[in-house]
Amino acid sequence: MDWSALRVSLWLGAGTILVLLPFGLWLGRLLALQQFRGKLLLEALLTVPLVLPPTVLGFYLLVTFGARSPLGQAFQALVGQSLPFSFQGLLFASAIANIPFVVQPIQRGFEAIPADVRDAAACCGLTPWQRFLRIEVPLAWPSILTATILTFAHTLGEFGVVLMVGGNLPGRTRTLSIAIYDRMQAFDDRSAGVMAATLLVIAVATLMTTTALSRKVGVRRV
Amino acid sequence: MSERHLSVALKQPGPIPLDVEFDCDAGQVLAIFGPSGSGKTTILRSIAGLYRPAHASVRSNGVTWTDTASRTFVPPHLRAVGFVFQEYALFPHLTAEGNVAAALGHVPHADRRLRAGQLLESVRLGEKANRRPQELSGGERQRVALARALAREPAVLLLDEPFAAVDRQVRRSLQDEINALRRTLDLPMILVTHDFDDVVRLATRVLLLEGGRGVANGPVTTLMSRPDLAWLREAVGLGAVFEATVSGSTDHGLMLLSFEGGMLLAAERHLPTGTAVRVRIPAREVILAMRAPEGLSLHNVLSGRVSALHSDPGLDHVIVQVAVGALLLLAEVTQDAVDRLRLAVGTPVHALVKSVSLDIITPARD
Amino acid sequence: MASLHNLLVCLLAFAGPVGSAEALQAKRAPVVAAAASLNFALTEIAAAFEREHGSRVELVFGASGTLTRQIQDGAPFEVFLAADEEFPKQLASAGLTRDAGIVYATGRLVIFAPNGSPLAPDGQLTDLARLVKTGKAGRFAIANPEVAPYGRAAEAVLKKRGLWDALRASLVLGDSITQAAQFATTGNAVGGLIAYSLALTPEITARGSYAVIPDGDYPPLRQKMVLLKRAGPSAMQFYEFVQGGIAKSILRKHGFSVPD
Repeated sequence: MDWSALRVSLWLGAGTILVLLPFGLWLGRLLALQQFRGKLLLEALLTVPLVLPPTVLGFYLLVTFGARSPLGQAFQALVGQSLPFSFQGLLFASAIANIPFVVQPIQRGFEAIPADVRDAAACCGLTPWQRFLRIEVPLAWPSILTATILTFAHTLGEFGVVLMVGGNLPGRTRTLSIAIYDRMQAFDDRSAGVMAATLLVIAVATLMTTTALSRKVGVRRV
Repeated sequence: MSERHLSVALKQPGPIPLDVEFDCDAGQVLAIFGPSGSGKTTILRSIAGLYRPAHASVRSNGVTWTDTASRTFVPPHLRAVGFVFQEYALFPHLTAEGNVAAALGHVPHADRRLRAGQLLESVRLGEKANRRPQELSGGERQRVALARALAREPAVLLLDEPFAAVDRQVRRSLQDEINALRRTLDLPMILVTHDFDDVVRLATRVLLLEGGRGVANGPVTTLMSRPDLAWLREAVGLGAVFEATVSGSTDHGLMLLSFEGGMLLAAERHLPTGTAVRVRIPAREVILAMRAPEGLSLHNVLSGRVSALHSDPGLDHVIVQVAVGALLLLAEVTQDAVDRLRLAVGTPVHALVKSVSLDIITPARD
Repeated sequence: MASLHNLLVCLLAFAGPVGSAEALQAKRAPVVAAAASLNFALTEIAAAFEREHGSRVELVFGASGTLTRQIQDGAPFEVFLAADEEFPKQLASAGLTRDAGIVYATGRLVIFAPNGSPLAPDGQLTDLARLVKTGKAGRFAIANPEVAPYGRAAEAVLKKRGLWDALRASLVLGDSITQAAQFATTGNAVGGLIAYSLALTPEITARGSYAVIPDGDYPPLRQKMVLLKRAGPSAMQFYEFVQGGIAKSILRKHGFSVPD
């Protein structure tokens, strides 16, 4: 078991959630509550990471931020390292790849709140912020949790983008999924097997939790 | 006690057409009556600030809530509005007490539970404070919604089809409850409904709405005595509505009602003498006669004069308005009869009504 | 909620800063990029280095072409051990290296057949030719010539024996020489052309048999290593170590020939 790889995977999963959750809450709610021109296009764009091969995302990130690009060189001059081949770069790529996993469930969660319940909250004298915290979030909570767990599981399974953007650097960008590949290349099937089993257990646990939660969502409606 | 007063003027061509202007005083119940889709709910939402028409002016107690002319707009959470939504819109994740407490932001934190409890007691739900909305019946949920609306200590109470989702029996008791509240609260109350029964039982004034436009606005009694409201006729059936007082019983199991213009006999309801009631006489049930008849089974013969006649091409009969003292009765009569009796404005005439045709509505207006 | 709780527990257990800044880089073990053919040899050399000098290096294995690309894109390697001379040359021309580098070893190609395969490995590829003729060749594994020098060498060998065109359609291309070895040893292919250094390892030897391809049949696999621009003192130490006696004997043991 490559413990540093497990650590990188867990940090990547947690980091992606931390970065995306505020964004997802804001955008998911916006899409649920507002109509505007171009909304359909925006929703389609947000779904794109779902259907694109991860290598495409990796390719564009390398081209845009790699050491050969002006943006990448500026970044390097500013921060002292390149964006690809760093954990931060991986986090950035992972965040983009996971946008649909965060925004869509949260959007559905907010959409499911009846409009007159929100109106009633306003008529109760609750400010917009109070409405959000005390009425909307508690009612959308199962969806928010689903988004979180789905994103975490998806990140753990990420391979293509991680390999292209991260480069398999131990302790930095070598995630558990990469480590499995790495160990197989070294004909170390035993280690690969242990790590694969770990990922499998996490995946099953995730699915069980989301299934249980989605049952809870149904109860909420009066 | 300050005089609470609401004045509203809304106008826009679309997407939801609106053209209304009305006032409502404390202690009054204004019923906004119209078919589905006529914009009734939009009016309530505009008063609450949940909808913003192109041209609007909403003032409560002298405070301007909306005024498009001066670009004033107070957001809904800053208006003292109590809104009972059509499907109650209770917060599913909170108990009845929690729902009511949500509207008690203006009360110090320590007192909120107590106050919420009191409000639930006032709608007879004291023991169910810890229940969630899913665990309550339709009528109970409506009462929680009412308590929550009142928790805000509102300057105006808005009710959107409050009885649409409950059955007849529950509806009656809820109507009585609102009547009781009306007396104690001293608020302007605006009630939106497509069921005329609500209007007759609860309202002091009616605003008739058609396609977002106010077509008539006045006290219930006055409006119900107008012969020319075609749409009302089609929706509800015409019939005068007026106030009367129980003045006793006869030996033969009939109730005596006195009104401003005479006496009526109605089926016994065992009401104490002095009870104020509302009476509705469907126009269809009124027969006109030139001479007071004898030997008929009916008990009520009222003398009066024809005060108006109304016919239009779509009608196969004529609506005759008869003034009996201060009461304006309506009768549906064929054109042939009008010609035979030579009815015209001013003609003295007798109106005949069966005692069983009288629709007695209790409790009544104050 | 249970999952969130578990996540927190895991995070606390494995907490540690992940990410790098320039300050940290000085203290971190230098990352060494190495051709896949060095998978076992270099691991041993790195262990010896740690014993000798007390400092660690991190090893990242891959096809030389892939690693070159990554270095061009800014990967923070400090030393690069390629499987040819061309790729380091590319990097030197781009100004990414300290100097032109030095040949540290020469590799060899072998033909490998897994146990139970119809192919009998021999250096002249006569049995392979036989299988091709009878139409029973099946799949054959080599490394991708575009990114792996060993794949380029394999292509040269097959062309020399006139088998390239016939086998082309049924070639399985590994993205590195180790992946080619994977394909060749797991029985999905009749065999493959893999690195001598890999064939010598116990795990692979146990799975089949091999034969060395004569040196003259392909351009020599002279393997060059370079120090990259950002190489620190620890990296330079390792660079020297690989040229030293201990490392050389390890390389020889793994089938490389080393310059004296």
